[in-house]
Amino acid sequence: MTVSKKSGALKSKSIRIARTVALRFMFYFLLSALSFIFLYPFITMIAKSLMTDDDLYNITVKWLPSRATWSNYDIAFRRMRFRAYVWNNILVGGLATIGHMFSCSLTGYAFARYNFRLKNVLFVIVIMMMIVPVQVLIFPLYKQYSDWGWLNSFLPLVVPTFFGMGLNGGFFIFLYRQFFMGLPYEMEEAARVDGCGPIRTYARIMLPMAQAPMLVCGVLSLVWHWNDYFEPGVYINNPAFRMLPSVLPNLYALLNQENHTMIQVNELEGIVFNEAMLMAATFLCIIPIMIAYLILQRRFMEGVERSGLTGM
Amino acid sequence: MTANQMALPKKKKRMGIDRRRSLEAYIFLIPWLVGVCLFFAYPIFVSIRLAFSDIVEFKGLKTAWVGLENFQYIFFYDINFVPTFLQVVYDTLLNTPICLVFSLLIAILINRKMVGRGFFRTAFFIPVLLGSGYIMKQLLGMGADGATITTGITVPRLIADLLGVSITEVVQGFLDRITVVLWKSGVQIVLFLAGLQGISGSLYEAARVDGATEWEMFWKITLPMITPIILMNLVYTIVSFFTDGTNPMVDYIYKVNFTNQQYEYAAAMSWIYFVFACIFCLLAILLMRRHVYDSGSKS
Repeated sequence: MTVSKKSGALKSKSIRIARTVALRFMFYFLLSALSFIFLYPFITMIAKSLMTDDDLYNITVKWLPSRATWSNYDIAFRRMRFRAYVWNNILVGGLATIGHMFSCSLTGYAFARYNFRLKNVLFVIVIMMMIVPVQVLIFPLYKQYSDWGWLNSFLPLVVPTFFGMGLNGGFFIFLYRQFFMGLPYEMEEAARVDGCGPIRTYARIMLPMAQAPMLVCGVLSLVWHWNDYFEPGVYINNPAFRMLPSVLPNLYALLNQENHTMIQVNELEGIVFNEAMLMAATFLCIIPIMIAYLILQRRFMEGVERSGLTGM
Repeated sequence: MTANQMALPKKKKRMGIDRRRSLEAYIFLIPWLVGVCLFFAYPIFVSIRLAFSDIVEFKGLKTAWVGLENFQYIFFYDINFVPTFLQVVYDTLLNTPICLVFSLLIAILINRKMVGRGFFRTAFFIPVLLGSGYIMKQLLGMGADGATITTGITVPRLIADLLGVSITEVVQGFLDRITVVLWKSGVQIVLFLAGLQGISGSLYEAARVDGATEWEMFWKITLPMITPIILMNLVYTIVSFFTDGTNPMVDYIYKVNFTNQQYEYAAAMSWIYFVFACIFCLLAILLMRRHVYDSGSKS
């Protein structure tokens, strides 16, 4: 009797193990399938960027190029004048990020920690900033900047961020507000009792604690500014002030043109601009931001988890 | 010190604590308030004025009031506006639930302890890195000029033969949509992940002691606890779909604005568009509101 009981226990145990293994397998399968969907365009882009002309038109070649060529990158690099434009991107992205970190943290702090007149009305404006699309305001802004003589410079992209506006400014204000709302009040009260003024309290006590939202705001602002092509495309015509993503539409247009006529030849060495080079250019565009993200990845995720976006 | 206090008028000496706190708050708000006036309120004012008027002289933007003429034109004469608009509404209605369900699923999956957590987290965040820009627009095959590299993932031939043409088309349409939608759900995944991390582990422990299964724990604990984030994500998703660069309506408004240079008309159009986006958000908030769990401690 004891034996049969034991074997029954064993059996149920092995069933349980089998179930766990099956569930594990399902779990990883689902995860891999989903991440494949996410990575698919990305992988295609990299694979294509390494193909030669022959591979591109060979339908049997889908993933792996028969012979990887790096010359595409070389051509794309020169074609899009990468070295000149990447500095524009770094400059604008960096300054705009600093602007957002400065102004949105101040605003978010005020909304989180103070009660003041018109607070609700002003908070509705923050929400409006998140909802009103850039497209609604683009023409008045364009007119305004052209009156101020700001067109064809980086001012329209950078200055608004120092005033809490700009790309997704409302979102960042909201982020900081959520974070500061979750901090204990005792800190400020202690500081005030010790005679610390509001601005010093903010700069010396609250900001050092706000690393998590700073990181999140920094990464997202940098990425969004880096990829934005809509506003730079409207405000900047001068080739000297172009940014990398706004070069891409030109290259795509060029490719289409060449597909139709096939006689348009690259001004560089008489090479026909093909899709592989386009993909190489596209990939070059995001390499700097990817490297930055990979370095910050772990801390960024921790920042998201700790920035208190959860308590709404 | 005392002399100084005496010299001050009585009223000023005892400024109420509320008043002073209020003043302090406004010191912090100065940059933002300036920004709102210059880069938000004034452009909105100009844009509204434009929507109801006609530009007489471009220099200095002199306008003449024409009332609802622009709006009439949009609804009764423009052959592109209504179909494009309906298409966008249809897409948003379909994409938003897909986006939310899948990003919640992915967030739950990558919230577990597992091998290669860092890899998967990066993989799911890649769309945010590439996204929101021209690159994604082209990669997803929604570019205006048709230079694309992907048209999503195709149904395998074997399965397609089994299912028949009509079902395959539906499945294929769904798959196409999924690729596009998932590529836009990076931020949502991150927000859900943050929300999941915020749920106290003791709740699950208690449930496990009481013999709850994973499935029950999802419906009874996880889902109710993250309803605030679902609401936030819902609004964020609707807004981002409405204002996305790959959106045909946005493209159209841009074209009318800068290619056709019908500024008043584009302004009217974008206001109609914006009002509808607001209505959508409000409806979503009203529908969700009664289901949102309120922890009572915050806000």
